[in-house]
Amino acid sequence: MRNNSLLSYNILLAMQSFKRAKSLYFLIILTLSIGVGVLCANLALVNSMASDPIPEKSANLLHISMNTWPDVQPPDEPMHILRYRDAMRIAESDIPLRSAVFYASGVYARDIESTSMKRFDSRVRATTPGFFELADAPFAFGTAFEKSRGMEVVIGHELNQKIFAGKNSVGKTLELDGELLTIVGVLKPWIVRPLFYHPTEGRAFDLTDDIFAPLETAIDLGWSIHARSSSTDNYAGVNETRDRNVYYLQAWVELDDIAKKSALQSYLDNYSQQLKDAGEHPLAINNKLHNVNEWLKEAKVVDQKVLAFTLASILFLSVCIFNASSLLLSRFHAAKFEVGLRRAIGASNKHMMMQGLTESVLLGVFTGVIAVILSWFFLKISVQFLPRLANIAVLEPKLLVLGMFLALITAIASALYPLYRANRYTISAELK
Amino acid sequence: MLKMNNISRIYQSDTIQTHALRDFSLNVGAGEFVAVTGPSGSGKSTFLNVAGLLDNFDKGQYELDGVSVQGLKDSELSRLRNEKIGFIFQNYNLIPDYSIFDNVDMPLRYRGFSSSERKRRVEQALEKVGLASRMKYLPSQLSGGQQQRVAIARALAGEPKILLADEPTGNLDSLMARQVMEILHDLNKEGATIIMVTHDPDQAREVNRNVQIIDGQLADFKIYAPLDRKSQSDDDNQSIASVVSKEVHKEEVDA
Repeated sequence: MRNNSLLSYNILLAMQSFKRAKSLYFLIILTLSIGVGVLCANLALVNSMASDPIPEKSANLLHISMNTWPDVQPPDEPMHILRYRDAMRIAESDIPLRSAVFYASGVYARDIESTSMKRFDSRVRATTPGFFELADAPFAFGTAFEKSRGMEVVIGHELNQKIFAGKNSVGKTLELDGELLTIVGVLKPWIVRPLFYHPTEGRAFDLTDDIFAPLETAIDLGWSIHARSSSTDNYAGVNETRDRNVYYLQAWVELDDIAKKSALQSYLDNYSQQLKDAGEHPLAINNKLHNVNEWLKEAKVVDQKVLAFTLASILFLSVCIFNASSLLLSRFHAAKFEVGLRRAIGASNKHMMMQGLTESVLLGVFTGVIAVILSWFFLKISVQFLPRLANIAVLEPKLLVLGMFLALITAIASALYPLYRANRYTISAELK
Repeated sequence: MLKMNNISRIYQSDTIQTHALRDFSLNVGAGEFVAVTGPSGSGKSTFLNVAGLLDNFDKGQYELDGVSVQGLKDSELSRLRNEKIGFIFQNYNLIPDYSIFDNVDMPLRYRGFSSSERKRRVEQALEKVGLASRMKYLPSQLSGGQQQRVAIARALAGEPKILLADEPTGNLDSLMARQVMEILHDLNKEGATIIMVTHDPDQAREVNRNVQIIDGQLADFKIYAPLDRKSQSDDDNQSIASVVSKEVHKEEVDA
């Protein structure tokens, strides 16, 4: 009861103190808010870049890189893109729980029932059916296609919004680059940040795809490769790539038990050795398996410049804390008389410390609110100058909480030295 | 009530050591009104600060209302100040942007009283000094004498065992000083123990006992007969009393 009463009294005193020195407290709040806001905006970027996009099974999802380049001048590292037959060898294995082999493409799409001839430029993922379960793709309507060949597609939420206004479009037919494919599934809004299944070629922060098509069908239809590819053979179109040395497919597997990783490694190594023994490549056996986070690190998803700027933001926040501390010191110095008086009439050092801390916490709350708004504003500005940040400049709820927490900590840190000084004033010196 | 034995207080700077109190001993009984006089720099304020637990002492023993204060922690000293001591300062020391009510309420906040109990005590204390009608005023809206009466109310609100007054009339004109002294005498008649530092020999003569401090030591020990205020000229006495009561009455009507 007594503590509650003192707490409410301390809150009242803090509010009176803010009213008494509005300009000074405004400066303190602004100083700390800018420091926290800038740091929070940077942390939002780092969080988007460094977070685990599929934490529940990221350790069990493995990206496969292989070294089967049939040439005497091989790349330094095993390639993250594979030939059709190498990729199919992986898909055939019964070691993984499931696998996904895919490549990125693009088509123009329209609803065949539409009277408009407008076609939507759409990103395509030509993939084996295992992709959906492997990547935990969430379905709003329908299901995944079941085979790698068939005139069926799954479409993403955004494309469904654009073409069908978000309604259930399962069973509708899309015209995709002149071919008719039926929609069997529609995804819910699906954010994968970073885009772990395709973080290379600067795509780590792209949105998920608009259309998911069966791999064999996409190859048969000659849907072109919209990502990195390498080849030692000439080919006229993607439909000619199955038996040629054209490297463009990516392969992921999901293990139900990570202990099976070594079995998978042996399986790949044996396969490479067989190719080598058959004289198909002259290279040392070098196949690599990376789980999601290892693969994102390998793909250098976290921008070093952003990390450097975050460090600079921390230093900037320190400067802000020093400034706020010196402003608070002047405020507390001006309040020496009141501190002396309160001590004389019965307030203990602890009371005065609690009064100061209550003021700091309230200051922190105000700072936190403004800092979060400023973070949002800084992110918006960042996107204006660097549009590629658009999909990662996101303030998640945990960042808002972090912003408030940082504001509280900085406000309390700023008040520590002034409070220490205020509690060392000689009581009688200020009173006559 | 207050027992000091061989108290010494030494202030030390880089090159100078100042003995503000030297082997200072004093006993003040419950219900006494003691005036402390002495020249400037003699140690009066140091004595009052030590007595009020606002300052430490280097040697000696000090007992306040049966409690030995040596070695007490800050929180225990603060509680003693809050519960047993009421301060009245020369400069009133009111917080300018707090209302009269809030100024008087301040020490009670640290006592843990309920809001109704605090309200009762504040109103009672302000009633006692004739300012019950000015509770919502700011100090700047009151005269110096009224501000000092507010300070007295603040000291009284906690119902302390002893009142320590440091030149309580030093900033007041003679009429206002008279009002304040009347209040202090009334409080003493009601049983309050009061120690008052003053430069005014007339005020010192009015009280039970006058203690003189020179160079940090007790210089003289004068016991005056209790003031027989009625022995003064009836005219004078009536005129002062009537002026004070008229003044208070006028303030109440104005409010």
